[in-house]
Amino acid sequence: MSENVLELKNLTMKFGGVTALNEVNLVVKKGEILALIGPNGAGKTTVFNVITGVYKPTSGDVVFQGKSILGIKRHKITKLGIARTFQNIRLFGESTALENVVTGADVHSKSGVVGSIFGTPRSRREEKANLERSLELLEFIGIKKRAGQLGKNLPYGDQRRLEIARALATNPKLLLLDEPAAGFNPAEKVALAETIKKIRDAGYTILLIEHDMSLIMGVSDRVVVLDFGTKIADGTTKEVQNDPRVIEAYLGAPADAS
Amino acid sequence: MDFALLRDAFWGLTFDGIALGAIYALISLGYTLVYGVLRLINFAHSEVFMIGTFASLVTATGLMGVNIEDDPRTGVSMIFTLLVCLVIAMLASAITAVLVEIVAYRRLRQRGATKLATLISAIGVSISLVELFRILTDSLPREFPRIMDKTFLFSFAGADIRNDKVLVIIAAGLMMFALERFITKSRLGKGIRAVSMDENTSTLMGVNINRVITVTFFAGGLMAGAAAFFYILVYENTSFKVGFFLGISAFTAAVLGGIGNLKGALFGGFALGLMETWTSAVFGTAWKAVISFVILVLVLLIKPTGLFGESIQQARV
Amino acid sequence: MLKLMTGMNLRDRGAAYWERSPKWKRVALAISFIAFFYALPFLNNPLINTPGSDFQSVLFYPVGMYVLMAIGLNIVVGKSGLLDLGYVAFFAIGAYTMAILGTKTSLNFWEILPIGVGLAMLSGVLLGSPTLRLRGDYLAIVTLGFGEIVRIFAVNTDSIGGARGIAGVPTPPDLFKAKFTILDPKPYYWLLLTFTLLIIWMVRRMAARRPGRAWDAIRQDDDVAQLMGINTRKYKVWAFVLGAAVAGVGGVIYASQIMSIVPDQFNLNISILILACVVFGGIGNLWGVILGAVLLAFTPERIRFLSQPRILVFGIALVVMMNLRPDGILPKKKREHFDPNWDKVEESGEGAIK
Repeated sequence: MSENVLELKNLTMKFGGVTALNEVNLVVKKGEILALIGPNGAGKTTVFNVITGVYKPTSGDVVFQGKSILGIKRHKITKLGIARTFQNIRLFGESTALENVVTGADVHSKSGVVGSIFGTPRSRREEKANLERSLELLEFIGIKKRAGQLGKNLPYGDQRRLEIARALATNPKLLLLDEPAAGFNPAEKVALAETIKKIRDAGYTILLIEHDMSLIMGVSDRVVVLDFGTKIADGTTKEVQNDPRVIEAYLGAPADAS
Repeated sequence: MDFALLRDAFWGLTFDGIALGAIYALISLGYTLVYGVLRLINFAHSEVFMIGTFASLVTATGLMGVNIEDDPRTGVSMIFTLLVCLVIAMLASAITAVLVEIVAYRRLRQRGATKLATLISAIGVSISLVELFRILTDSLPREFPRIMDKTFLFSFAGADIRNDKVLVIIAAGLMMFALERFITKSRLGKGIRAVSMDENTSTLMGVNINRVITVTFFAGGLMAGAAAFFYILVYENTSFKVGFFLGISAFTAAVLGGIGNLKGALFGGFALGLMETWTSAVFGTAWKAVISFVILVLVLLIKPTGLFGESIQQARV
Repeated sequence: MLKLMTGMNLRDRGAAYWERSPKWKRVALAISFIAFFYALPFLNNPLINTPGSDFQSVLFYPVGMYVLMAIGLNIVVGKSGLLDLGYVAFFAIGAYTMAILGTKTSLNFWEILPIGVGLAMLSGVLLGSPTLRLRGDYLAIVTLGFGEIVRIFAVNTDSIGGARGIAGVPTPPDLFKAKFTILDPKPYYWLLLTFTLLIIWMVRRMAARRPGRAWDAIRQDDDVAQLMGINTRKYKVWAFVLGAAVAGVGGVIYASQIMSIVPDQFNLNISILILACVVFGGIGNLWGVILGAVLLAFTPERIRFLSQPRILVFGIALVVMMNLRPDGILPKKKREHFDPNWDKVEESGEGAIK
C-alpha cells in the first residue's frame, strides 16, 4: 500500500495557446501538510481544478490512493475522498451555516428522494447522524454559535471557516485548501494555523495553497513551488526557503497576502 | 411526407428559403448582439419584431394613406412609400428595443440580479406586449396593402424569381453589410466588441457600458425592424403572435451559427430559412415550428457552441 | 408597498408563533386550518363572491388547480432554479391520458390516475435527461419548445382528437356517497384539496432533508454542489420528474371534471401563469407560492374587469415583481434560527443566536 495519498504524474494543462501546467510531478504523503506556493498565475488553483475534476488535463495522470481518477465525475471524486475550499468564498449564501455543512455530510448518505418522502428508518438514521456530525464539525472549527445564521450574513473569517467545515463534512481523505488565510489579519492567521494543525492531527491529509510565507513555514511539513506552471522546488520548508530559484521567482520578497 | 414536391420545386423552394433566411438572419443578429454584451437571451426581441410589423402597417395605411383595395403604386411613389415604411419600422423596433432594455433589464443588471430573475422579467415584458397587441387587434390578424406590384422577374431552373423577394434579399444584404461596417469601424461598434469580450476590462478602458448596451439594443432593434418590414412586404399580413414563431426560428438560427458570433447569425439565418422551407415542403407547414425546435435541441445537445463557436461562455453547466 | 411590508412581518410573526407553540397547539391549529379549507365551498360571503362565475367552480379551477401546479413548479423553478417554461405539457399529458383511456377503455378514474402520472413522469425523464445540463436560458427555450410541441402534436394528430379534442371524458366513480357530476364541483374540489395536502406533506418532507438541501445547493451554485459530492444531474431530473408528476395529477383530475378537452387549452399562457404564481409568491417559498397562486387565480375572478386583460396584468406583474420585489410577497425569513423539524438541535439548546 502506497503511503502517498495523491500523486500528480507529468501533469500538463493547456488552454489553447497557454500552458498553465507543465509536466508537474508531486506527491502528497498520508497525514502531512503540503503547501503549494508560487507567484500569482503560477497555476496553483489550476492544480486544484484538475484534481477535483473541473478540468481535464491535456496529458499526465492524477492518482489518488493508488488509482487514477482521471475522467471520473466531480461528485464521484468527492465521494472517493477529496474535498476543497475556494479562493473566492463559494458558500451557499442563502442557506444557514448548519445547512451548508450538512449538505457536505450528505455525500455518504445512501438514502435519497424516496427515503425522505417515506421516512424510512435508514433515512432517519442518516439524517440524525449527519446533523450531529455537522454540529460537531461546527464546534471543532469554532463557529457553532453561527449554526443558524445564513451563510451570506456571517463575518468574513467565519465564512472561511465555514467553507472548511463544509469540506470536512464530506469526510475527505485529502483536503484541499485554497488560500484559506486570504484577507485575514495576523492574529486570525495564527488562529487559522492552529486550526489547520488541529485538522491534520485529527487524521486528515492537507494540500494547501497560500501566499503568506510565515503561515506556510509555520504549518507545512513540505513545500512545492510552482512558477509559470512548472515545479521549481520541492522539499522541506527549510530547503525551499533557501533555494535560490524560489527566491528569484518571488523577487526576493515573500508576498504577504494582507 | 412529400419528397416529390421538394424535388420538383427545389429551386423555387431554395429561393424562397433564401428570402426567408434573410429575414431570419436580420432578426438573429439582434439576439446575438445582445447575447454578446449581456450574456443573456433577449426574450422580448420577438416582440420588437412584431411591433415593427405593426409600425409598417400603421405607416402604410395611416401616414402614407395606402388602402387595402388600392392598386399597387409605381415609380417614385412606390419607392418613397416603401422607404418611409422601412425607416419607420426600423425606428419603431429600435426604440421598443431600447425601452425593453430600460424596463426589463437595466435595473436588474445594475443590482447584479440572478439570471433567473432577469429571464423572468424579460418573459414578463414579452407576454405583456403580446397581450397588449392581442387586445388592440381583437385577436385578429391584419392585412398589409400591396404597395409594390409583385411580378416575376425571371425564371431560373424552373423557379419563378419574384421581385419582392429579390428586393428583400438585396436590402437585407445591404443592412448586414452596414451593420458589419458599424461594428468593426465605428467607435461604438468597437465598444460593443470590447464589452462582449471582457466587460470589466472595457470599463477600465473607459468604455461607457450603459451607452454600449443601449446602442446594442438599438442596433439589434433596427435590424429586427427591417426584418419586420421585409416580412410584411412579402407575406402581406401580421398578427399579435407573429413574433413568437419567428423569434424561436431566429433564435435557433443564432444558436446554430454560434450565439455571440455575428457571422454565425448570418449563416444560421440563411441555413435555417432553407431547412425550414425544404422540410415544410416534405412534412407540411403545420410541423414547421417543430422542425425548428428539433434543430435547436439537436444543436444544443451535440454542439452547443454552434457551427462557428460561441464567443466565450459555455452552453452547459 | 405597505401591504407587502406587512406580508413580511406576517410571515415572520406567524412562523414565530408556530415555533413557540407546544405540540398540541400546533396540531389543533393545523386541523382547524385544514377543516377551514374543506368547508370553503360552503362559504357565502359577499367579500369573496365571484361575480359572473360560480364560486365553488372557481375554487376548483382556477384556484385549486393553480395552487397544485404552482407547488409542483416550485420544486423545479423555485427550489432547484431550473427555468421550465413548458410546464403545461405535463398537465396536458395527464389530461390527455385521462381523456383517451377514459373514452377508449373501460378503466375508471382511479385506475387511470397512476397511468397518467406515470406517463407525465416518464416524459419528465425523457425531456430532462438530455436537457437539464444546459444552462438556464437555453433550458428555458428548450422547455418552451417542448410545451409547444406537445400542443402542436395534439392539434395535428387526429387519432387523439386533433384540433377538436376529446369529449365525453368519464367522471370518477362515486366515492363515499359523493357523486362526481358536472353539476357539482364540490367533490372535485375536495378531491383536489386532498391530493394537494398530500403533496404539500411530501414536498415539505423532502425539502427539510437531503433532496431539499441538494436542490438548494444546485440552485445557488451548481458547480460547487458537484464538488461537495452532489450528483446534480440526478437531483435535477428528480426535481423535473416530481414537478411533472404533480402536473400530471392535476391534468387527470381536470379532464375528468371538465369532461371535454381541446389542445388549445394547454398553451404557453398557462405555463407562464403558473410561473407567475411561483414568482409572485417568492421563489422557493412554499407558503408564498400557495398564497401567490390563490391571489393570482382568484383576483381576476373576483374583479371581473381584470379578467379580460388577465394575462397582460400577469405579464406586468412579472416584470414589476422581479424588479421591485424579487423575493415575492412573502419573502424568505430573515430571522435566523433552526428549523423545528430538527429536534436534536433544539434539545441541544442552540435555538437562539447569541
